[in-house]
Amino acid sequence: MSVLQAADGALPDARVILDTLAADFALDVGPARVVRRTLLDTFDHRLCAAGLTLTQHGEPSGEQLVLRRAGRPVTCAAVGGARWPALAAALPSGPLRDAVGAASGIRALMVVGDERRRQRRVDLRDQDAKIVARVDVDVPTAGSGGAVQVRVHALTGYSRQARRVTALVTGLGFRPVTGEQCAPVTRGTSAAEPIGRDAPAVLLLAGVLGGFVTAMRENLPGVLDDVDTEFLHDVRVAVRRTRSTLKLARPALPETMRTRWEPAFKWLGDLTTPVRDLDVYLLDLPTMAQWLVAADAADLTHLDEHLRRSRAVQRRTLVRGLRSARFERLLEQWDQTLAELAQSCAARPTAGELSDASIGRAHRKVVRAGAAITVDSPAQSLHTLRKRCKELRYALEVFAPVTDKPARKAALADLKGLQDVLGRFQDCEVQREALREFAHEMMTDGTPAQAVLAMGELIGHLDTEQQQARERFDGAFAQFTRASSARRLRRLAGAR
Amino acid sequence: MKVLATYNIKGGVGKTSTAVNLAHLSAREGRRTLVWDLDPQGAATFIFRVRPRVKGGGHALVSRERPLSAALKATDFENLDLLPADFSYRNMDLDLDDTKRRTKQLDRLLDSVADDYDVVFLDCPPSVSLVSENVLHAADTLLVPLIPATLSLRTFDQLTQFVADAPGKSPQVVAFFSMADRRKRLHREVIEAMPRNGARVAETVVPALSIIEQMAERRAPVTAFAPTSRAAQCYEQLWAEVG
Repeated sequence: MSVLQAADGALPDARVILDTLAADFALDVGPARVVRRTLLDTFDHRLCAAGLTLTQHGEPSGEQLVLRRAGRPVTCAAVGGARWPALAAALPSGPLRDAVGAASGIRALMVVGDERRRQRRVDLRDQDAKIVARVDVDVPTAGSGGAVQVRVHALTGYSRQARRVTALVTGLGFRPVTGEQCAPVTRGTSAAEPIGRDAPAVLLLAGVLGGFVTAMRENLPGVLDDVDTEFLHDVRVAVRRTRSTLKLARPALPETMRTRWEPAFKWLGDLTTPVRDLDVYLLDLPTMAQWLVAADAADLTHLDEHLRRSRAVQRRTLVRGLRSARFERLLEQWDQTLAELAQSCAARPTAGELSDASIGRAHRKVVRAGAAITVDSPAQSLHTLRKRCKELRYALEVFAPVTDKPARKAALADLKGLQDVLGRFQDCEVQREALREFAHEMMTDGTPAQAVLAMGELIGHLDTEQQQARERFDGAFAQFTRASSARRLRRLAGAR
Repeated sequence: MKVLATYNIKGGVGKTSTAVNLAHLSAREGRRTLVWDLDPQGAATFIFRVRPRVKGGGHALVSRERPLSAALKATDFENLDLLPADFSYRNMDLDLDDTKRRTKQLDRLLDSVADDYDVVFLDCPPSVSLVSENVLHAADTLLVPLIPATLSLRTFDQLTQFVADAPGKSPQVVAFFSMADRRKRLHREVIEAMPRNGARVAETVVPALSIIEQMAERRAPVTAFAPTSRAAQCYEQLWAEVG
């Protein structure tokens, strides 16, 4: 489809356009209709990233979803009474839902753009009365702004006719506009301006921490409205990164950061933990159901219901906390603190010095904690190592502006292998314990025995998986501490 | 991509009407649908108001001189494209005979558009030929319209034997009664006495209705110009069974 637009301010009469086209084609002019065009995407624009555009067209005859790839309609589906935000699973079954669901994953579709236009669909026919091109003459409704547009829909096998239509409309002073583009994805984690190694560390820290708080604010409405599970996840990531940064950068930060702000963000992290944990169990439940051999997947229905009830209870606490004066004060005063930090005149340490020291320290801690792990070490030791690995990863990410990009990417890749093994080990540990706890709670509610037996089977599966992860640990740690990886990290920490 | 072929050794049994209407219903549900009019008579092409011409003819397609995608034409219906007939298709047997793996050429040609369509209908000419053997390899389902008459059943037996004897992959054969007239005793008896012999026979019976004949005059699927008619309802019911 090509879109041609009238020059700014020009409002050509639709009649002129139709008369021009009628010179070459027989026209079937549809009735004028007001079309509400709602652009849908996930909060993080996953459809846009996948090259897809999903629009909902509201017309008197009904609502329709149209999915386009590179501007060309690929599929459409009628949709009645749709309410956004909603997961792709709520769409009518068919190719559109399949394509959208593959791109959106667990994120909900929400309205990211909305406009109303008065539109006339015109079918252009040849001498056999075959439609050889379609045109939408598109006029913005009063007050909604925008220019008159002519959308030329080229039909497969009739590109010559579409080119002719474009030439005729261009002759009226219309000019092509580039394809409908979705809003660019903005991430709040990068500093506004590039920061060099010699810049004061506090400047880099203020920018990075400001990015994290922006991410928290952007995701907060989605958490409060319970749009999808990823809003809370992203808030938690921003909180965790904030806490790690405060800890990593203690030497460069005022004492109040440690005494006041570290506990403040710990409170925020703790507030969000119960709902997130329950989200993870609910998201994992379909996978867990596939593990069952003796029990039936339907036996997990009671667990599903228990998790949902618990989540509803925990969400009330979370929402209360996020709407509290304490949280409002936290955000407000944190903004002031970051503004003061950016204005502070502490020239030392420099960003480079702090980066070298933080990455070096975090790396040494990982190596020390990992080397101390033996076959007899308790699960807690591996959990501690996992936390050290996260700190190293955050250090590499926070100081990204002042470190070498290829070396940093390679170091993160080295670290990922170890983190994956530790993550699976710890997840199994936590999930196993949680399932035991849920089973106790459910038994007091009179849950049938088969539900608890099914959970026992899951615990057995988690135990096996945890052992497998433990067996992979030595190899993963050896891979991480191999000479080339260690050399790379030492160089990132300033060693020459 | 699912491939359905409307096929019968006999002509005038409702192959094109079935392909055109079911394809329209498939597209209406949002599936990207293609009809390949393999019959040089070009009835489906005519109904969709497309000119029965493929640049380079069937030879250019079979010999890969021109890609299949270059010959595609949009119909007047959203999500529904047509690969038109060309009078040169009458020589397609000879073109196919000149190729290696001569019975699998249509399958390979359709592979080139597999990402672009969810459903493909092959509207086949009435014959037993190399084109038919290619259709057997390419199709997942062979839709066989049968006029309820004794000779039709005999032809159906020949057809099922032809499918059973074909080497390699065989499509599922689904027969259904077409152009049926319940006022005729013979039609009623044949429908009731149809021997299944392992072949699937759809429940839907498409009656002989003048509105179906009007498709050639209106140059559109009956499901488009008379969507609430009995004929359209029959095709919807058939599509629900085989789609």
